[in-house]
Parts: sequence; structure tokens; C-alpha cells
Amino acid sequence: MSDFYQSGIITTLHNLGKPSLERLETEIKEYSKIRPITLVLPALYSEFEGPAMPLIIEELAKVKFLEEIVLVLDKASAKEFQKARAMMALIPYPVKIIYNDGKRIGEIYNTVARNGLEVGQQGKGRSIWLAYGYVIAQNRSDVIILHDCDILSYNRILLARLCYPVVNPNLDFVFCKGYYSRVTDRMHGRVSRLLVTPLIRSIQALYGEHDFLKFLDSFRYPLAGEFCMITDMARVNRIPWDWGLEVGSLAEVYRNYSPRRICQVDIADTYEHKHQSLSADDPEKGLMKMTIDICKSIFRTLSAEGFVFTDGFFKALSVTYLRHAEDTIVKYEADAAINGLIFDRHEEAKAVEAFTNAISMAAKIFLENPLGTPLIPNWSRVTSAIPTILEMLKTAVDEDDK
Amino acid sequence: MNDFFQLIIGPLEEVFFKFKEFTPNVIATLTILILGFLLARLIRLIFLRILKALKFDSWSDRMGLTSLMRKSDLWTKPSETCATVIYGTFLIIFLMAGLSALKIEAIDNLVGQFFLYLPRAFSAILILIFGYIIAAFISRAVLIMAVNSGYYYAKLLAQAIKLLLTLLILAMALEQFQIAPGIVIAAFSITFGGIVLALAISFGVGGIDAARKMIEKEEEAKNKKKDIEHI
Repeated sequence: MSDFYQSGIITTLHNLGKPSLERLETEIKEYSKIRPITLVLPALYSEFEGPAMPLIIEELAKVKFLEEIVLVLDKASAKEFQKARAMMALIPYPVKIIYNDGKRIGEIYNTVARNGLEVGQQGKGRSIWLAYGYVIAQNRSDVIILHDCDILSYNRILLARLCYPVVNPNLDFVFCKGYYSRVTDRMHGRVSRLLVTPLIRSIQALYGEHDFLKFLDSFRYPLAGEFCMITDMARVNRIPWDWGLEVGSLAEVYRNYSPRRICQVDIADTYEHKHQSLSADDPEKGLMKMTIDICKSIFRTLSAEGFVFTDGFFKALSVTYLRHAEDTIVKYEADAAINGLIFDRHEEAKAVEAFTNAISMAAKIFLENPLGTPLIPNWSRVTSAIPTILEMLKTAVDEDDK
Repeated sequence: MNDFFQLIIGPLEEVFFKFKEFTPNVIATLTILILGFLLARLIRLIFLRILKALKFDSWSDRMGLTSLMRKSDLWTKPSETCATVIYGTFLIIFLMAGLSALKIEAIDNLVGQFFLYLPRAFSAILILIFGYIIAAFISRAVLIMAVNSGYYYAKLLAQAIKLLLTLLILAMALEQFQIAPGIVIAAFSITFGGIVLALAISFGVGGIDAARKMIEKEEEAKNKKKDIEHI
């Protein structure tokens, strides 16, 4: 059981007592009559072959409050698309699979691109952008839930807790992000623990208080891929197509809505998914690539908020970050010790060193090209350029699904 | 004996002379077909370049033509589709020209009919394309106007107008194509007339009070104007 402390400028919904899944689901089912819910799942075909997706399908088959599931399938051949369809057919309510590698969806991307709009590279960001477009085109749901498809410890209570704050009309939240502890016999989530939080606090130490930094620091797990939002948000939020997806999306939420209407919710006692290798020597792979993209996203958002970044600032930031991160390692070492968890201090220190390099690399890239924003335009912008794009997208998905 | 040989050689000679007479026609046909094929490909290429330079794809996306293609499950670029249609048209024209070089009466008649039909087909296609664009434009304008006026059924109204205009355009195109023109005109007149009559009756019955109010309001306004003039 967690504490009940409210930290930061957003609302935190804790896991207190023993909340009943049945009660939650019954309430959500009632609310969903006036606020229908769609679940968006960005998936790779490889996840269907692993242990995560079969478990997720089994759990989703028991859910009664979803209007529809929209699954965006990436890196799949035509045969694999059919296999994925067969597996998803076990779910007893409407499921649409967007075949991302198909000819029709490819033409949708081409159509957007030839009208001067950037659709970015293949990845989770582009997939969820496309899924949002389909949900808007369907015009059937008021609420969108999104979670990854590599969750090994999936339970449908995650879904219920994630959507409850948004779907409940009495609570007036427009965006809810999930948080959880990523603990097995050791602590995981290095990027969140050792990069994002120390980096934000270092910038605060150098630049002083800022609402966006406070907003980001309010999230217990800013890199969590699970969130729920109102469908209108999908129209106005731009989506980063690189690893800066989560931080960039939070920046868009901050830009478009008041923090009073944003919350985070404890969705699982423990959460286990695939782990990325550090790849400290290769900035194009693994956690290093992810780290550089996240740092770039933070710098670009802050720059848009009026921060002036100079070479001198970034030099000072590297030093300040290193100090903050080292202090954080000590804190986590103590936390691991009291809980009897394995803690490899050397590995953690190596990760911090790699992250320091990543910050410098991201700073260099940012100074060279501060405007190089990898954001996919929001759907309002896309429909203003191509008024019938949503119809085309709907036709493409429906034809692929025949 | 000579007569017997003549009996055998005569028909063969006749076939040979006919073949000799026909061969240049066949060669001319083949030449026209080969040149036509090459020319059609060249025209397709030039047409494609022109369309790309004019940013036809982008224009087509904005005008809703691409969407129309997608609804028909056509997923190539609009410029490529247009170029292919042009290519196909030229290929058919050259095929007809090639066939007419055979100098066979039946084929000549067919070719003549085809060339007479071409302007009709062309104008029908133009009616379809521009009609669709105009219908989409009017429907969108009605939607915006109705939404801005706070009309609850704005989308339904816009869709109904688009449907009616599409019906009108289809009837016009079919009439141009000369596909059962009598039936098309009759069906269209009945359907369109029926809709207008239904609207007139429903407005007449349901809108008596509204019409009276409108007329009374106008009368009042006129009377007010007169008063001011007297003063």
C-alpha cells in the first residue's frame, strides 16, 4: 500500500486500502454509456509471439466497458497480420487492427507527407498518432486509453484504474497517466530514476523554478507508456515520433490543458516489461538513443517556454546533473538495502556516466538545430490541409480489415 | 487436265492475291499498334510530369478526389491514376486506328461509332469530376453555414444536399453516356420531383404558422416604413 501524499501541481491518485475491481468496473460500465471508451494498443507482431500479448488478450476478453479496441500492428507481414487478427478475434467486442505495413496505410502516410506535413519515422509515436486519427474518424468514443503491449504482469485492473479518473464525469480530469514501481528482485526504470528526475531538478537548480519543470517533476513515472485522455485531446496534441514520445506528450498536455485537470494514478503493485540494454558506446541504439531523444525533447520544450540555452549553461548542467544523479544513486542504494533488493552500484554509476554523455550529445544536437522538432502535426492541423483524410483513413482500415 | 489444275490453282491464287492485298493492311495495323503503344507510353510520361509539376496530387487530396478514389478501393496516386486513364484512352484510340487500317467494313463501322462516342464519354467524365468537386464544396459551405447558425442537424443537412447533388450529377453523366437515357431521365425526374414535392408539402403543412408569421412581419415592416415617410 502506498502513502497518500500529494506531491507537485497535479493530482495523485494512490492505491489505498483494497479497491474492488468489480465495483470499479461496474461504475466505469455505467459511465461509459455517456462517455464511450476506446483502447488503443500500439503493438509489434513480435509481441504476439511472446508471452505478453496472449496474457493481455486473455485479460481484455473479460473487460466489459470498452466500446472498441484499436490495435496498430507494426513490423508484420500480410500473413502475420492475419495471425494477429485471429488471435484478437478471441475478444468478444469490436476490435480494429490497423495494418501499418499495408499498402493502404502506406498511401495514407504518403498523402499526408505530400501535403507538406511531417509524419516521422516508423515507431510507437507514429502508430498512436494514426490510431488517434482512426478513433476521431470513427466518432464513437469520448475517452481513449493507451498502454503498451509488452506488459508481462498485465491485469485488467490496470485498465480500470487508468480510465476511471477520466471517464467519471464527476472528477473532471482530461488526462491521467499511470505510475507504478518497476521492481522485481531489483529496481528497474533507470532512465526515469537516474536521468529524467535528476535532470529536471538540475535545470531547476540552475534556472530556478518554472511551471513546466514543476509539472514534469510532479509525475512519479514520467516515462510510463500508460495513459488515458479525452478524445478531444487527440485532436489538438502533437505527437513526437522518437523516444521523446512520453515527455513530448506531457509537454503537449501541459501546453493545452490546466494542471488542475491532469492526474496520475497508481495502476499496479508491480510492473514488468522488456528491458533495454544500455549501449553506452552507441548513441544510435538502446537506452543511449532513448536518453538523447528524451533530453532533446526536454530542451526543445523548455526553449519553447522561453528558456535561453547557451553552451555555458549546458556545461554547467552536465556537472550539476552528475552531482544530482550521484546523490540519487545513494538514495536508491539505501532504499534497496532496507527492502532487501539487489543493487549494483557500479552498474548504476556506469549508467549515470552514459547519461551524462547523452546530455552533452543532446545539447550539441539542440544547439546545432533548435527547431528540429520531431513532432507529428495534430489531427486538427492535418484535416485543415486535407479535409477528407479521416474518411480516407477510415476507408483504409476498414478495407484492410475485410 | 489443265482444267483440273486450274480448279486447284484458281482458289489458291485467289487466296494468295487476297493475302497479298491484305498483308500491307496487317503490316500497317501492326505498325500503328506498335507506334501507338510507344506514343501512349510517352504521352503517359509527359502527362505524369505535367501533373506532378502542377501538384495535382495535393490539389486532388484537398478537393476530395483522392477520397473518392479510396472509396472505390483505388490506392494509387491520383496523378498516376489519371496518367493511366490517359494512357488507356490513347491505347484504345490507337487500337481503333490500327484496326481501321485493316479496311474491314464491320470494324470500320465499330471504329466510327467509337470515335463518335468519345466526345460524349469525355464530357460525361468532366461532369463527374467537376460535379463531385462542386457538390463537395456546396455541401461543406452548407455545413459551415448551418453550424455557425447553430442548426442542430447541420451535418445531416449537408449530407442530404451532397446526396441530392450527387444524384443530379450521376443522372447528367449517365445521360451523356447515353446509357438508357429515357429510364435515367424518368427515374431522376420522379425521384427529384418526389423529393421536392415532399419538401413542399411538409413545409406547406408544417410551416403554415411560420409562413404566416414571416408574411405578417414583412407587412409590419412595410407599414412602419410608411409611418416614417408620413412623419
